[in-house]
Amino acid sequence: MNRIIEVINLTKDYGFGRGVFDVSFSIQKGETFGFLGPNGAGKTTTIRHLMGFSKAEKGEAKILNKDTFTHYAEILKHVGYIPGELAFPAGLTGFELIKMTEDLVGKRDPERLTMLCDLFKLDARLLKSSTKQMSLGTKRKLAIVTAFMSDPDILILDEPTSGLDPIMQDVFIDFIKKEKERGKTILLSSHIFNEVDQTCDRISIIKEGKIIDTFVANDLKHNKHKFYRLRFEDIENYLKFTEMAKFKPFIDIIKGHRATLELFISTHDDDIDQVVKELTGYKIAEFTNKQETLEDYFLKFYQDGKEFGGLK
Amino acid sequence: MNENVVIKVDNLTKDFGDQKGIFDISFSIKKGEMVGFVGTNGSGKSTTIRCILGFIKPNKGASYVYGKESWSHSSSFIKEIGYVPGEIAFPDLNTGTDFLKSQAEFLKLKDFSHANRLIKILTLDPSANLKRMSKGMKQKTALVAALMHDPDILIMDEPTTGLDPLMRINFMDVVKAEHNKGKTILMSSQSFEELENSCDKVIFLLNGRIVSIASIDEIKNRPEQDFKIEFTNHEDYEAFKALDYTIIRDQPQYHQVTVSIIKGRVNDLMEDLKIYHLKFISEVKYTLERHFKKIANIKEEN
Repeated sequence: MNRIIEVINLTKDYGFGRGVFDVSFSIQKGETFGFLGPNGAGKTTTIRHLMGFSKAEKGEAKILNKDTFTHYAEILKHVGYIPGELAFPAGLTGFELIKMTEDLVGKRDPERLTMLCDLFKLDARLLKSSTKQMSLGTKRKLAIVTAFMSDPDILILDEPTSGLDPIMQDVFIDFIKKEKERGKTILLSSHIFNEVDQTCDRISIIKEGKIIDTFVANDLKHNKHKFYRLRFEDIENYLKFTEMAKFKPFIDIIKGHRATLELFISTHDDDIDQVVKELTGYKIAEFTNKQETLEDYFLKFYQDGKEFGGLK
Repeated sequence: MNENVVIKVDNLTKDFGDQKGIFDISFSIKKGEMVGFVGTNGSGKSTTIRCILGFIKPNKGASYVYGKESWSHSSSFIKEIGYVPGEIAFPDLNTGTDFLKSQAEFLKLKDFSHANRLIKILTLDPSANLKRMSKGMKQKTALVAALMHDPDILIMDEPTTGLDPLMRINFMDVVKAEHNKGKTILMSSQSFEELENSCDKVIFLLNGRIVSIASIDEIKNRPEQDFKIEFTNHEDYEAFKALDYTIIRDQPQYHQVTVSIIKGRVNDLMEDLKIYHLKFISEVKYTLERHFKKIANIKEEN
């Protein structure tokens, strides 16, 4: 059985067009699956069904081939979960929360716990304080540590780094890469493209409750077309180059901006030698490149035309 | 005190024990200036902000808004400040509309045209239930509440954390428009890029202390430019290295070098490169992120 996580035609209608509608995807053993989409698109709703917190109106959410709503307690032992919005039980210190989670999962691994606390810089002083007193960043680190401390095979991570500082975000990405190598099956929902880009094998985009695109991450990463911005020293060089480039099959002119002497071109990596040779004949003030990132590619999916009424 | 200084922080210290807190923080923000705060979790960004707003009393030093000491005079300036807290805890009210109306009442605000303009730009549905709002909706509601009376000062504690990329852009467009209108702004963020694209200067905090204050102009107008170049073969890589270039990173296993050149000397580089076979050439941008990470690394080594 290779399909560890399976969502089949999942539907939950909250009315007013909110909810998830016919969402289907599956995640194979050892795969890291990215879940991208705007706030309110249905990522968390899908994840909450996978965790067995919510009952589907139609369709199924399965982990290890078991329906998650009916086998909630059993599945919990195999899954590490980081919720999107953290709400810890009231009145507990960090240590007490860790202890409570260990009891719930029925597993204790002090060595791994220490490793994780060191990695995410969660020291005893921080863990002694009440979770209510903790800063958002500390709470986030605590959620990461509690999700990973029992070394579960399956991880469901809902915006796991939201609120972490940039250096910790890098630590987290490296950690996920290592967990991946150890064969973990991971569902990662995130707004941080860099995080998804660096870790995921496959990515789905969800919008307004429906999956609108699924693709293999490598296809985008290995795109060999690059975009460059040239700025010439004077109008003469700008015009001469533009005229010449029209006749060169390896240079695509994307757009020109005469007033600022800027020209945007695209070229294939294999042709960069020829482009450099051509460029030497012209006076350029600036030469910068812009690789299309996951962010550029997907921002268009985030566009939203909704409008609401104001205050009266 | 210079009358152009709107916010002044002077040797501000709040010691929570165990080396937690903020220590000897000093900076000032001029009228119309936008200043960013970045730093690791627990570095003291929120504590500094909370001192400026007069929510907590410092052990040593002081902060001033319009020349008035924060802790003892916050009531005299608090309505001049639009504040977006990091973790939003709304009062026990039904909908976003109810909350915004109660804020308006507190501020004695009668004209909702600015509020409604913001609601439109941010595509916020204020009629939604406050408790059931997603993170993004809460954040947008808080921003409308902070800006609706058009205050001269805006203080925001990680306002974009948790927002999706498009919302971030819309949110920051609103903030930038406020900046252009001459508002004095202090905001913290986990995104270097966001601060680089909006602030005049950025303060880098580490373990409760200021380690660097960067001027965005200086970062953007750095006199050098760095290029990463990969050659298709080892001979070309070696031959290029023999030329007189400042190599800031060398990766022989990929036949790859990163060189630093004087801006505007791109032509000379191209001229030198034309006899070799390149796999790719790309600019390595000098960003606020690189700037601060460089400083952080140096600090850790010491």
